[in-house]
Amino acid sequence: MWSFYFNELMRSLPFFLKGLWMTVAVAGLSLIAATIIGFILGIVRASKNKILRSIIGAWVDLIRGTPFLVQVFIVFFILPSAGIELEAFPAAVIALSNMGASFICEIVASGILAVPQGQREAATASGLSSFQQLRFIVLPQAMRSIIPPLVGQYVLIIKDSSVVSAIGVVDVTRVGWLTVQRIPEGLMVFGLVGILYFAICYPLINLSNYMERRMTVTATRL
Amino acid sequence: MLEAFNFRVILEYMPLYLQCFLATLWLSALSLIGAILVGIIACAMRLSQSKAISRTAGVYIESIRSTPLLVQLYFFYFGLPSLGVMLPEWVTGVFALTLNSGAYYAEIIRAGIQGIAFGQIEAGIASGLNYFQRMRYIILPQALGMTIRPMLGQAIVLVKDSSLLSLISIMELTRAGQLLTSDRFMPTEGFLTTAAFYLILYYLLKTFSSWSEKRLIFMEAH
Amino acid sequence: MISFKNVNKWFGELHVLKDINLEVTHGEVVVVCGPSGSGKSTLIRCINRLEPIQKGELVIDNMNVHDKKINMTKIRAEIGFIFQSFNLYPHMTALENVTIAPIRVRKIPKEEAKKLGREILTRVGLGERIKSYPAQLSGGQQQRVAIARGLCMRPKIMLFDEPTSALDPEMINEVLDVMRDLAKGGMTMMVVTHEMGFAREVANRVVFMDDGKIIEVAPPKDFFINPQTDRGKFFLSSILKH
Repeated sequence: MWSFYFNELMRSLPFFLKGLWMTVAVAGLSLIAATIIGFILGIVRASKNKILRSIIGAWVDLIRGTPFLVQVFIVFFILPSAGIELEAFPAAVIALSNMGASFICEIVASGILAVPQGQREAATASGLSSFQQLRFIVLPQAMRSIIPPLVGQYVLIIKDSSVVSAIGVVDVTRVGWLTVQRIPEGLMVFGLVGILYFAICYPLINLSNYMERRMTVTATRL
Repeated sequence: MLEAFNFRVILEYMPLYLQCFLATLWLSALSLIGAILVGIIACAMRLSQSKAISRTAGVYIESIRSTPLLVQLYFFYFGLPSLGVMLPEWVTGVFALTLNSGAYYAEIIRAGIQGIAFGQIEAGIASGLNYFQRMRYIILPQALGMTIRPMLGQAIVLVKDSSLLSLISIMELTRAGQLLTSDRFMPTEGFLTTAAFYLILYYLLKTFSSWSEKRLIFMEAH
Repeated sequence: MISFKNVNKWFGELHVLKDINLEVTHGEVVVVCGPSGSGKSTLIRCINRLEPIQKGELVIDNMNVHDKKINMTKIRAEIGFIFQSFNLYPHMTALENVTIAPIRVRKIPKEEAKKLGREILTRVGLGERIKSYPAQLSGGQQQRVAIARGLCMRPKIMLFDEPTSALDPEMINEVLDVMRDLAKGGMTMMVVTHEMGFAREVANRVVFMDDGKIIEVAPPKDFFINPQTDRGKFFLSSILKH
């Protein structure tokens, strides 16, 4: 019986690959949008403007305080009643980008604020404008502490993309869910789904750790 | 959208929401305790001298971290029955949450232990304390101080993760929102109320986190 | 050239500069000294508005520095500022550090700026290290790059905030030598320092501050040999004990 199911599963492989492609598409688009929006918001969040900082802070808190699944439902079900009709795929990308942007915003703001104040003073003293300071002095140095957690955040976005299967996006998780209805071998089916995610996420996690290590040293003997 | 916000319906469903709120609390609390226990065991295994034990824990932790929680949930929900294990949904849900957060707790505890200044450990060795004594008097108390914030952070993540249990038909906060959507076509009222309850939990946990950090003042500024 | 008229500054409730009146003329070298917390660093940081003032007037070359409408970029381009902790840009080479402001603020073409940069780095004794990163340089070398960075803007005034306080003793002289040359060349300088030997040799006047006020202003010969005030006497006796 088991081998029969296994063969059936292998025959469904193309379906899984299509789902994988959908996962890559949703996660990829969201990654890009989240990075762009997150960087802009992060720069503002690290600025001196108290009002803007609080507004962004409140929005970040809202995103962090609610489950992503609920955010997906809100985007998919509630926006239409405000006049924006959405299909599952765009709703998924919007929700995922929104969530990703809020986390990236905090990562970028922390990185910028971690650059020593003396650097800004030296730049100010030479007459460089705020924009020039950010571009030539602050941001290049901030990138060192931004990139490792940024890559970590990308992994989280890829994993969270699985949640959009709940509104019908046919990503690799949804393919597993649909497949398990006809091939009732949950371990096999979702084992395969797991392996596919693993293949993408594991190397990225290692990349993030490697980059993190290049910036710190720890003692480990107990 | 907001003019038509139907407070009457929310009041009508409030008993259900309160029940679901308690369910979320209960499921999260159970999973939290389990996860911390699993985390301690997995961390101890990871730090063991035996390569086999350490590697086993490593495989567990890396598999969890590189795959989405939803996939893990479906893996057990659909997979356990095919092994002949029939469990009520909530048990499967708690099991998946426990295993998932357990891996993250293992890493948090490990970071806490390894973050302790090596000089402290040397001082302990020099005074003749053995491994267990060093653990009990020097390492673990300081590890507790350093990890309290990330541990509460993971607790917040766990509460949000519990929303996925709604997808395997468990009656909790997110499911309440889904019900209001399917029964009464009121996703706005449904999911915004759900979100509000999660935000309450979020702020409670955050406040507790700040309060407990203030109590542990022997913590060096990190 | 630099004119303080009844300048007052507060950090919140703390009154850190009290009724400062001081004139520094073109080509003068003024050393500012005093105990910790006397306000001497704050004083020079107000000159290029790294710190704002709440009362009084600070005028440089007929431009009121703390006027809200004034273009600070123009003023700052004329003032070189040397920090105690150097504040070199770690991600740039020495040459890049000294040329970024001339290129971006004075809008000098890149090649011209690099030529100027090489010249000035050679002048401070670092001609061989123009491609080095700050992490590859000693403290004394870094501070000399910082001075070169200030000089590349061809400023009218150079301000020094305890330039040698963060240096190991053996490196202090290489930096003071550069500063001595600058003074001899006629640069208008204000230097906050504890290096009394330097003050005696190079300063036209010494300004002694305590508790936010200017207590004594005198040529170094007069101040060091015959301080007029009790606080001045006390200060000198405590630092000359070493």
